Amino acid sequence: MTSTALRPPTAGRAASRGAAPPRQKLTPHRRKEALTFYLFISPWVIGFVVFLLGPMLFSIYLSFTEWDSFTAPVWVGLDNYITLLTDDPIFLRVMGNTAYYSLISVPLGMVVSLFIANLLNKKVRFRKLFRTLVYLPHLIPIVAVALIFQMVFAPEAGPLNQALALIGIDGPNWLRDADWVKPALILMSLWQAGGGTILLLAGMNGIPKELYEAAEIDGASGFRQFWSVTFPQLTPVIFFNLIMGIIGSFQVFAQVFILTGGGPDNASQMAVPMLFDEAFRFYHMGYGSAIAWILFVVIMAFTALAFATSGRWVFYESEVRQ
Amino acid sequence: MSAMTPAPTAPTAVGGGRARPTRPRTLSAFRSGPLTYGLLVILSAIFTVPLVFVVSIALSSDATVSTGQLSILPRDFEFSNFVKIFQTSLPVGSFLVNSVIIAVSSAIGQVLSSSLVGYAFARLRAPGKRPLFFVVIATMMIPAQITMIPQFWIFSQLGWIDSFLPLIVPQFFSNAFNIFLVRQFVTRIPYEMDEAASIDGLGFFGIYARLILPMMTPILIAIAIFTLTAMWGDFMGPLIYINSEDKMPLALGVQYLTSTSQELQTPPWNLIMVGSIFLSLPMIIIYYFGQKYMYEMNLSAGSAGVK
Repeated sequence: MTSTALRPPTAGRAASRGAAPPRQKLTPHRRKEALTFYLFISPWVIGFVVFLLGPMLFSIYLSFTEWDSFTAPVWVGLDNYITLLTDDPIFLRVMGNTAYYSLISVPLGMVVSLFIANLLNKKVRFRKLFRTLVYLPHLIPIVAVALIFQMVFAPEAGPLNQALALIGIDGPNWLRDADWVKPALILMSLWQAGGGTILLLAGMNGIPKELYEAAEIDGASGFRQFWSVTFPQLTPVIFFNLIMGIIGSFQVFAQVFILTGGGPDNASQMAVPMLFDEAFRFYHMGYGSAIAWILFVVIMAFTALAFATSGRWVFYESEVRQ
Repeated sequence: MSAMTPAPTAPTAVGGGRARPTRPRTLSAFRSGPLTYGLLVILSAIFTVPLVFVVSIALSSDATVSTGQLSILPRDFEFSNFVKIFQTSLPVGSFLVNSVIIAVSSAIGQVLSSSLVGYAFARLRAPGKRPLFFVVIATMMIPAQITMIPQFWIFSQLGWIDSFLPLIVPQFFSNAFNIFLVRQFVTRIPYEMDEAASIDGLGFFGIYARLILPMMTPILIAIAIFTLTAMWGDFMGPLIYINSEDKMPLALGVQYLTSTSQELQTPPWNLIMVGSIFLSLPMIIIYYFGQKYMYEMNLSAGSAGVK
């Protein structure tokens, strides 16, 4: 073939890292290559059509129908959407609950994980032990977390209210009290906030030491160095965590389903558990599909909002990623 | 420690021939004091208490549980609970086996399909590749709820309800994030290796199977771990598709333990916590042995490590 091809592989490996593939192949060969490509990606194409695109289109259609999954769907136009947004006894409240949960638990979780990451980024002994203890809850499957916290939140014997009693506070019945059930779910999500620290620590590792040295010479205190060097340098990671956090927390399901069932009095009912109930408990498949699409639009809106404001506070520099 | 280091007499040259003044003191941002340790100890304690509490409940006797006499530190040591959980009216042994079957087959499916598709996107040239890859990335934005109801209908038409198939089969068609990971990883492998293999007479499939696939091992292990943990902990999938007790995976089965006890009767919390430990322990073990591969995944995704 060509001279490039005749080079010993070892020399080639070192010499042209990242070089573009040569483009002088013959057409039949290229054709075979293209066919191989389509053959290789066929699992994704089939999966995309059967499990994603098809269902998506079907779901849009269903959201304009009334369907119990046994008889034929009945076209009702925009009725599902109109009912949800104007006439449903709980839907707006459910979306409010979901936004409340998401918009408090995500930023709070990021503050907690950033705070811990900053502590662990200092020169401390037993760093590995601390890091493991803080990260461990993140590894527990959500079903187990929910079951564990059913005990943690127990009104009398639970460790949370026992701790509160030590400082003279009479703890509420967390999961049965309409005022406290959402804070309880947020507290539970904070228990897993340690998961974010690993990514933040990796990000902190990549910040050039020279920046801190310069700040030190300028007489910046430890806190000032965090606020003026660490934080701006970490904003891309924080931004990523924010987006993923919003998307994930709007879809909260197992916690609510297991811990509260949406109660008391729908105070903790959220979008996906409601969708699950409508679709798989009451067989309102059309209505459920409409909920899914409204949820999708809301998630997209918040994600877009995060992107739109990112220019003001996310700091990009080629050196940040290492 | 380093704060005690006397000022250096001459700057030492570090690798790369770049001389750099040694730092005499720890920079303020990294200095730790009693406050740092105090906060770390308190925080670690807060994060650890629920875990200790779980073990304490798991080791409690039935009497302690039914009277609600729970304590954070264990009072009883009923290790027999770890045997007793297999003697309840629910097939907990099957729960475990089902979880393993679902998680392992899903991981196999994702590894096979994602490696094939990711390799193609990284290496093979074809018209339409760029827009196709854009579609792959775009699909990451679609939340699962959108497709949940139609997928349920498809699987019920196939007669797959109350079987593992709706959970496992989709995993054999790869997913966008894993394709992305493999593609990023393969792009970092020098193309000359493909060429050399091509001269040696290997076709595209041969290059994939004999050359690239073995080199992909780290990222494939990362994908396997990611899939294992996701499927092991998955609750909603089994909740929708599995009805009979003997087909439930552990995540659903443990939750089921709480709901099967009669009204006005305290659920067997000690056994439920044993179940939670069974559910959690494999994840901790997998993480312990797989840490470095998870790191590989973060690396491949840029700053994007999705859990």
